[in-house]
Parts: sequence; structure tokens; C-alpha cells
Amino acid sequence: MRILGGWIALTPEVDAKLLFGRHVWDCAQHADLWGKRLPELRAAAQVSEPGGPAVVAAFDLIETAERPEQTVERVTAIYRVVKPHLATVYERHLAVANPVYEPPTRRILLRCIEEERRHAAAGALVLERLFARDRASADRARLWERKLLDALGAARGVTGDVELPLVAEPATPPERASVAQDLVTPPSGFDVEAALGDLAAPLAAHRAALARGELAAVRGELSGEAPPEAVVEYARLVPPFERVEVVGVARIGRQRVVKLALAGPRGRQVLQERWTPTEAGWRIVTVEVTDSTS
Amino acid sequence: MDRPIAYDKLAREDRFVRMRTRDVANAKIEQGMPPFPDLSSEASMRDRIHGILVGEMQAMEGAGRSVYDFPDAPWEFTLDMARQVWDESRHVETYLGLLDHLGGYVGEFPETTLLWRCACAEDAAARVAGVNRGLEGLACDVFNQLIHIARKMGDPVIERSVDYVLADEITHVRMGSRWLNELTRGDAERRRRAIEFQDSIDERFNLGGQRQDGHHEVVPISIAKDARRLAGFTDEEIERLVKSTQRSQVY
Repeated sequence: MRILGGWIALTPEVDAKLLFGRHVWDCAQHADLWGKRLPELRAAAQVSEPGGPAVVAAFDLIETAERPEQTVERVTAIYRVVKPHLATVYERHLAVANPVYEPPTRRILLRCIEEERRHAAAGALVLERLFARDRASADRARLWERKLLDALGAARGVTGDVELPLVAEPATPPERASVAQDLVTPPSGFDVEAALGDLAAPLAAHRAALARGELAAVRGELSGEAPPEAVVEYARLVPPFERVEVVGVARIGRQRVVKLALAGPRGRQVLQERWTPTEAGWRIVTVEVTDSTS
Repeated sequence: MDRPIAYDKLAREDRFVRMRTRDVANAKIEQGMPPFPDLSSEASMRDRIHGILVGEMQAMEGAGRSVYDFPDAPWEFTLDMARQVWDESRHVETYLGLLDHLGGYVGEFPETTLLWRCACAEDAAARVAGVNRGLEGLACDVFNQLIHIARKMGDPVIERSVDYVLADEITHVRMGSRWLNELTRGDAERRRRAIEFQDSIDERFNLGGQRQDGHHEVVPISIAKDARRLAGFTDEEIERLVKSTQRSQVY
């Protein structure tokens, strides 16, 4: 729950972000149910401790995947390792929980099993979407899953006494309709030409100049009202660029703020320029260069 | 993970264009537009809905950070923040739908990060005072007005959707009222600093001077007194807010 909560802000993809957001509350309710059950079993309410130092180490390893480009690692960790592992541990506990003496525990287990399995299935679908955007990421996911399972294996699972295998497939997969409630369709793409309007043609020439590294021509498109820092910003670009792609177009009244991703042999840069219509045509009023979009 | 994280670590897809609040406001003023969308046109309505969408996203991210950043806070505090994460995730979905309903797209307007910056406050009490009571209280005013305008426009989709979201926001403000009191019990200095932080937000983010005391038909954005009372604001606090709107900055 805490890791998912912390990761939401660090995750760029809207569908993965919302998946985490959906599940934080379910995880909190699971923890709350267990925390309330504790005093009924003669332990302190809402007080927990890790199964051992190796469990702490495994979760510390999970937390290291915090860079924006590591969403695949984050989803893999929680939805291919942690949640399936928890469901497996719960199912084994349920199998030995006495139906006469332990119905309160059994009820919590049943709810947690159902929801953890559903979460894992939803996570698998989001992971498929991520793989579709970046085919190489599937290999990264497999390696990361193996590494985390090894770390969890060294800890003998979350409780420190789990027998192998740490993850067992569900006897019955969750129903598609129940999984769908956890998923949000990613926002559709936007029509770049329509968003640009009559800025499309001058921007095409601007992009070509950028790709060729003709920064003098690019600077010539600055408005007279542009601050001197704009020239300094252009000096931070490292051309030439193989691709100059429009990735964002925002409007402020008649003005457009255009975000360009510039990919070249020396890496990726992002250029954000605010354009304003003038009698002499479209001119740039502000410029911002970053080496990363996130 | 750091506790808390630096505010510039907020992650977004490429399609989002991020700008400073002041720069967006100035660009609008230069073009003779009000700094905050006045809902006088379709584009202005989409601008408002888009602004709320990214605000909800940042609220979800901020509440998520509160779940992570304060492991020593009372468990019920964490539980409330986790509930808020879920609510905000549904609000994001709601506003994605409303943006689509109005023919807009995600990224159509710049994103400013004022809510997120407030959500990076290091003290939990300041965070709930600033975000839950200050900014979500402001959301109550804005949503109340949006419901009113949607009703006048005859758009039941917006009216009903925002009404459900408003109900949640009142709950979040109430959570903020509860935790401001509980986290600062016996620590007058901590309470003073948290309230000061909230007051600074109320004063600075006054929606270009549009938020005022009065009826919907008379003022651009009416302070939602009933919603605020439901959320645990005292009459004295509401009066202080009314006074602050009379001396606010323009963005």
C-alpha cells in the first residue's frame, strides 16, 4: 500500500498511475482488517513487523524502481510478484484455517484472496499495454521478476516461513468483468494537425531547421518580445537530430505551446516553445529545453 | 524512495505541457483574457475542466505521497489518505470523461503544479491544512459554481458528475479538518504554522479575484459556505476567507 501510494507521482503513464490509485485503498482496507483482527488473537491492534531482515531487503529492492522510465519494473514487482505471492500465502493459510474456530480470519482471507487475484489480473493487462508500447520491456520485466522472486525466496516469503513455490497460479482466474472495474482506458491520442491549426506549416519548417541544426534560422523565429534567455535556451540544444516529433500541443487563447521531442545520436532532448500569431506570421515568445520530459 | 520527494519529480506523459501558474496567467492577460477561465466559451469550459482534471491527478498523487511519507502517523490518518487516493483516481476518470464529452483532449491546456507543490509540504499537518482544507475547499467553491452553470446550460452530464465529485471533496475537507486538529493537539506552534500555510494558499490562489462572497448570479465564483460548513469549517474561518478574497493576488 505505501509503496504503491508513493509511486503514483513517479509514474508517467496515466493508466498505470490510475491502476495504483485504484488499489491503494483496497490494500489499506486489507491491512486494516488484519490490524483489527490482531487484538482478537491477543496481539496489539494495528502493529506489524517484517518477517525478518531479508523481507525488508526484498521490499527495499522493490522500491528502487522509482525512475520515470521504470513503470514496467514497478508494475511487475507488485502485480507479478507481491500480489500473486500474497494470494498464494493467503490460500495456503485458508486451507488450514479451522472452519469452526477461525471464521473471522477465513472471511478476511477470502476477501483478500479475491481482491489480490483481481488486482494481479488487472496489472497483467496494464503490463501488456506497456509491452505493446515498448517490446524490449518484456525482457526487462522477466529479469526483474526473477530477481525479485530470488530476493523474496531468500527471505522465505513475506512471513519468513513460506514453502516453494512462492507464487501459485489461481485455481480459478478472476472474471473479466470484475477485473475491468480496476482499469481505466488510456486517454486517446490527439490530432496534431487540428491542434496546431495554421501553425502546422511554419512548424514543419521549424522542425526541419531544428533537425538540420540550423539554430540561427530557428532563433530568427523569435518574437521581438522574447526574453534574452530564449537565445540561451537554444544554445543548450545538441543537434543534429534524426527525429523532431510533436508530442504535445497546448493552447492559451490564440497562442500555442508546442512540445517537441528531439532524438539524436547524443540523446533525447525536449523543447517547449510558446508561439503567438503576429502580423508577420507565427513567432516564438518563450523557449524551454530539458533533457527529460519527466 | 525519498520522504518526501522533490516536487520536480512529478512524472507525466509527453503529451502534458507544464508551465508556471504565473506564466500561464500572464500569457492570458497579455491577450486580454481573464487569468482563470470564466466559462464564457466552449474553449474556456474545456480549459476549466482540463485544469480540474490535472488538479485531481495531483491530488491523487499528493494523497499517495501522504500514505508513503508519514509511516509514523496514526493508522487512521493513513487510512483516510488511502481512501482519498481512491476517490481522486475516480475523479480523474470522471474528468477524463467530461473532457471527452466536451470534445477536448488530454494536454490541450498547460498544466500548472500549484496543488502538487502544496502536497510536498514536509509536515503532515501543514499538508492536510493546505491541500485538504485550502485547495480542496477552493475546489468546493469551483465545483459548486460549475454545477450551477451546467444546470443553466442544460448539461446534466456535467451537473451530475461534478455533484458526485463535490460530495467527495466535502469528505476530504472534513478529513483535513479532523487531522489538522488531531495531529497538532498539544502543539500550538505546529498548529499555528499549519493554519498559516493554509491561509497563505487561500490568499494566493483566489482564482484571479473571481472567488467572492455572494450568490452565484451576482459573483463569478461564490464561496460555497454550506459545503464548507458540512466539511467542518467554522463561521469564523469562513469569515476570514471572505476577508482574504478582498485583498488577494490576481492568480
